Amino acid sequence: MSKPAATRRRNPGPSWGYGFLRALDFLLPEFLYKPIRGIGTLVAMAFMPAQRRHSREYLALALNRRPSTRDVFRHFFAFEESLMTKLRVLNGRPHKTVYAPGADDARQWMETGGPAFLGTFHVGDSDLQGFLIGDELHARVHNKIHIVRERVGNSHDTEKLAEKFGGRIAFIWVNDPREMIYAMKDAALTDNAIALQCDRCEHSARTAEFDFLGAKRRFPITIYILAAIFRRPVILTFGVPQAPGLAALHSPPRFDPIPGEPRAATLARGQKHFQDFLRQLENILREKPYIWFNFLPWNSKPSA
Amino acid sequence: MSDSLIPRLKQIIITTLNLEGMTPEEIDENAPLIGSGLALDSIDALELVVKLEKEFGIKISSSEESRAALASITSLASFIRERADPSKLSA
Repeated sequence: MSKPAATRRRNPGPSWGYGFLRALDFLLPEFLYKPIRGIGTLVAMAFMPAQRRHSREYLALALNRRPSTRDVFRHFFAFEESLMTKLRVLNGRPHKTVYAPGADDARQWMETGGPAFLGTFHVGDSDLQGFLIGDELHARVHNKIHIVRERVGNSHDTEKLAEKFGGRIAFIWVNDPREMIYAMKDAALTDNAIALQCDRCEHSARTAEFDFLGAKRRFPITIYILAAIFRRPVILTFGVPQAPGLAALHSPPRFDPIPGEPRAATLARGQKHFQDFLRQLENILREKPYIWFNFLPWNSKPSA
Repeated sequence: MSDSLIPRLKQIIITTLNLEGMTPEEIDENAPLIGSGLALDSIDALELVVKLEKEFGIKISSSEESRAALASITSLASFIRERADPSKLSA
């Protein structure tokens, strides 16, 4: 499938920014580099008033109090550090993943592979985890992961990760919904896994309201509709940083469509599965509130 | 054969997409299926394509083919007649 043109830039930084960060990571010791990244984060915060506002909106719910400017900085800096983790993997640094308690279904699936829809989130190291899972899966059972992603104007980290993990990872770009349909269908007819991000409503035709952090928030439920259409399980995962180069993979029991089950019943079960998962995610976010990387309105508008 | 395909397609659309309360007679076979007309979204289209491929043994393999096939029920019927196994058309 050809790559669609990028429709928007993801962040306001210069196109050479990621390369610069990678170069400095080689050149500077961490005790010097970390404060410099902190200053860079403050500069980024200054130029991102909408993201600051959305960060405050989220943090007020996660912290259960009015967030301070320091809280917002820690939120932005956690995001910067997750980006650095990806760039460091690109620079050849090892990254280890351990399974959190309860992630038995994800662990078992990693050993055998097979068709599945993987639900991922803009949380902690989840983006990098998608690539690492694809890498491990390919090494074990020669399956591939098709990652459904919006193509944006300055996604250097994604581009470079795609190059590094080429052959084990493929992209399905959502920018052109018609092309996306056929890429999705073709991928779903193989034994490969398809990974979708399940916390943003853009490019998602179907959403539903869930209880999350003491408020109502809309999440896409497309993954459960696809599971029903293609009779594939849903495995939700997110990666929580534990230490430099180490993340814990959290994953609830998988969701399986039942042959012959009416669609409405499958979706009702799917929504309950997702709500249960959100409770697990909420518990983690109460402990580590800065790893939620949706600097967007609490309820983004869905689009077809 | 050609007379029965359009009502059959309408019924498939209603059943596959759970268009509760809608009858085949209410669907205009010349109206666009996606966007306006029946206003199907991309997930509906995906589900419909999967069902049609299974039902008629055809393959819609690109967005260009889909645009032509899903323009309306009439064009969908023409697309299927050109490509389907004749035994599946008479089912």
